[in-house]
Amino acid sequence: MARIITFREAVNEALLQEMERDPKVIAMGEDVIGGSGAKGEMDAWGGPFGFTKGLYGKFGDRIMDTPITESAFIGAAVGAAVCGMRPVAELMYIDFMGVCFDQIFNQAAKFKYMFGGKAETPVVIRTSIGAGLRAASHHSQSLYPIFTHIPGLKVVVPSSPYEAKGLLIQAVRDNDPVIFCEHKSLHYIQEDVPEGSYAIPFGEANIVRDGGDVTIVAFGLMVQKSMEAASKLAKEGIQCEVIDPRTTSPLDLETIVESVEKTGYLVVVDESNPRCSMAADISAQVSDQAFGSLRGPVKMVTAPHCPPPFSDVLEDLYIPSPNKITEAIRSLK
Amino acid sequence: MRLLDPPEELSRPIRVGILANPASGRDIRRVISKASVFPTSEKCNMIQRLLGALTVCGVDEAWMMPDKGGIATVIRRFGQTLEGKRLLPVQFTETDIMETPDDTRLSVRAMVAAGIRAIIVLGGDGTHRLVAEECGEIPMATLSTGTNNSFPELREATLSGLAAGLVATARLNLDDVTRREKRLLVEVNGEIRGMALVDACISADMFVAAKAIWQVEQLRELYVTFASSEAIGLSSIASLVHPVRRDENHGLAVQLGPEANQKVIAPIAPGLFAQLGVGKWNELQLGSSWTPNIDRGVIALDGEREIEFREVDKVQLSLDRLGPRVIDVSMALGAAAKHGIMLSNLN
Amino acid sequence: MNLNETQLLQAYRKMRQIRAFEDRVHEEFATGEIPGFVHLYAGEEASAVGFCMHLTDEDRIASTHRGHGHCIAKGVEINGMMSEIYGRRNGICAGKGGSMHIADLEKGMMGANGIVGAGPPLICGAGLAAKFQKNGAVAVAFVGDGASNQGTTMESLNLASVWNLPCIFVAENNGYAEATSSTWSVSCENIADRAAAFGMPGVVVDGHDFFAVYEVAGEAIKRAREGGGPSLIECKLNRFYGHFEGDAQKYRLKDEVKNLKQSNDCLKKFADKVLDQGLLNKKHLAEIDELVAEEIDFAVNHAKSSEKPNSADLLTDVYVNYP
Repeated sequence: MARIITFREAVNEALLQEMERDPKVIAMGEDVIGGSGAKGEMDAWGGPFGFTKGLYGKFGDRIMDTPITESAFIGAAVGAAVCGMRPVAELMYIDFMGVCFDQIFNQAAKFKYMFGGKAETPVVIRTSIGAGLRAASHHSQSLYPIFTHIPGLKVVVPSSPYEAKGLLIQAVRDNDPVIFCEHKSLHYIQEDVPEGSYAIPFGEANIVRDGGDVTIVAFGLMVQKSMEAASKLAKEGIQCEVIDPRTTSPLDLETIVESVEKTGYLVVVDESNPRCSMAADISAQVSDQAFGSLRGPVKMVTAPHCPPPFSDVLEDLYIPSPNKITEAIRSLK
Repeated sequence: MRLLDPPEELSRPIRVGILANPASGRDIRRVISKASVFPTSEKCNMIQRLLGALTVCGVDEAWMMPDKGGIATVIRRFGQTLEGKRLLPVQFTETDIMETPDDTRLSVRAMVAAGIRAIIVLGGDGTHRLVAEECGEIPMATLSTGTNNSFPELREATLSGLAAGLVATARLNLDDVTRREKRLLVEVNGEIRGMALVDACISADMFVAAKAIWQVEQLRELYVTFASSEAIGLSSIASLVHPVRRDENHGLAVQLGPEANQKVIAPIAPGLFAQLGVGKWNELQLGSSWTPNIDRGVIALDGEREIEFREVDKVQLSLDRLGPRVIDVSMALGAAAKHGIMLSNLN
Repeated sequence: MNLNETQLLQAYRKMRQIRAFEDRVHEEFATGEIPGFVHLYAGEEASAVGFCMHLTDEDRIASTHRGHGHCIAKGVEINGMMSEIYGRRNGICAGKGGSMHIADLEKGMMGANGIVGAGPPLICGAGLAAKFQKNGAVAVAFVGDGASNQGTTMESLNLASVWNLPCIFVAENNGYAEATSSTWSVSCENIADRAAAFGMPGVVVDGHDFFAVYEVAGEAIKRAREGGGPSLIECKLNRFYGHFEGDAQKYRLKDEVKNLKQSNDCLKKFADKVLDQGLLNKKHLAEIDELVAEEIDFAVNHAKSSEKPNSADLLTDVYVNYP
């Protein structure tokens, strides 16, 4: 029997199941309980987006509110991970990573290598990404390419509730540091999600839709947008293959290359800014490995090279839309 | 706004020293108990209030110890402000700061050489003891900013500054408003190694280490110049068996140790009560000297372990009244009022 | 506070090991055989040893770019360290970390660190882990006067206080952050003064005096172990070498280091005291000096004759697993 839940509920369930499974899993972040030290109720928020609601009641001290102190608590999560815990830290918006980037890219990412293989840092940093909420430049970016750039980090960009649950469970069980990017426009979408625990392995792309004419590679919310575009194009007789790599690092290039060898065309849809983006990265790698199979230029559908704007008119222009995807694909033929 | 010019026969410039210990209130007792932290900013505020009082009295220069950045920097910066420029100028001694107690000793020595006519001390018992070692006959005004503060007074700096300023400008009779304090002198192998203004304590410890006394198990003998039940520190132990006033011409010796049958509970440091055994006690007369009963240990002066000694060392303690000449602020201000110094004869 | 003969010998041996290690690295660096950047700890030994003598392998420390001393004090093996500094395959970090990243998690040494102020947040995590693991362990972050001005340090002091973590923050104030004086860069007289703002005890201790450091460290660590919370201890001390090897140190006075070595050498002070007090004799110390000299000699020769990593090592150890 189908059980329809939201992306938010799927993430919550994954956390709950993993915390039940392994006492080493702890959670922390700003207002992940909400209400610490205040006179009203505890678990008032259960996370800025309500993703950790109810964990406090179940696990008590294993979930911790932090002061607004990203450097300290992200660093503490990293430190606790290297000391045998499995912390899941929530950092409200990926835009805030600037203040604690050192703890992620110089510390967590490099311990294993710098220490000659002897360290493991099983930390998960959950964060929200993406535009669409009219939240302007400091709360709307899709900065996952920055983390993808760093050897030692794994980066996950789930595209649906089912994906989010399985990938988060894998992230918690994974022994490397993971940046887990939850798109804000996905929070309330619903789908059938199994109640039981399951893990989706990293580095294995999901072929969301089969098609022989053009390969679309998309991340997070862009998978949904690409599916809309693919449905439209199907009516015109263009069959798109839509691939969700799930993780930007590791990246399942093999599945992408195989698809391109079949279709001869590649469109990469990426909400991040275009320079040094996933779109640019995949374009380059496919050109390198499957140049002979390409029958046309690789198309990148991305946000433009500007910060996310505030005004609805501008923001709508900023986010890649199904229309832009279909235009890009039509331009190939 | 200031008083009439000081007596003409006084040689100028009239200088007053201000010795503020930047390290006071920072020792191990912060971890052991809830001893207070006296913030640098408040020490600076106190100094600025002192400068105001000295200016009113017509003192020409204040002399201070430099330090590694905190107090001296703030006071120098203050001197550049409009408010600071209205007050007397501050000179800093040319002391090479090593962040050791010698900084205080050397700086006071330089102030004495510069001819200061009074010195105001901000610190605890330890700081006052260091200044007392160097300041000789120069009258001292005491202000408590340390941890163990039996010797200095808890008082508003403005008034202490006023008393010191009046003394420095020779408006008051020194003998009327100052008193010579008692001291305990420690000699090791014939050489003076230190003095205590309040208490000297013999401990069976091995090391000076972090200096401040905070454990009592090893304490064996306590000698005090005075013992007030209002005092904090080791002298409080003595005050529980036989109080001694500052003006009395004797001190007290008390045997301590776990085997003593009488137990006392005493506040040996802020926030820190200790229970310990107290044995025989006897009064010590001025001019008397004695040797410790144990032949190896550490001598704490005013609550700080200072001197390590062993079997081969010949240790001698003595009591006299050759300690610093301390300005009695109450008496000084009372005399100033009585003689009308603050009345009508204003510039 | 009393120390028995075994403890005194241990303290002297550790401090001597650090001094000899650093003096030798200084010499060897000058020959050009040691690659990269090296920052030496000589002069500051009493701090690392005074703290680490109270710690077990379960207790964690985080160090700085000037980390050799903390490593040795925490029990990291000297041959592995020296090989690492020479970039050899048998180095403690397989030649991938070097001087600035020496770590040994089994010994509770969470790494020297190339980023100033990176240690305190990590040590909050170590303290947090200890709380969950209920092993009574503590976590100690060593920082310099430079890092004391970093936001990460201030944030960690706050977080450790808010979460009541078993953490001790040790500010080793050696007077210089690189070439800038701490009297200029630190806005208050004592770094320890900042503790008050975070609701924890702040203590200033003479970092040249092993006994003073040992006593204060012992109490701060005991307090943390018993659930009393964090503290900030400032060791006032000096470094005998430059910021890095190759630093001409023109920002220091001509005879500054020479004078410091005469008046404020923690090893000399320690030796003078234990000899003067008759607690150890000259033979004790001479034996240790000789033994340590041999150890360091061996470590250098061993490192020089060890093989360098091979090309296959470049890509190992990036991830635990990466498909």
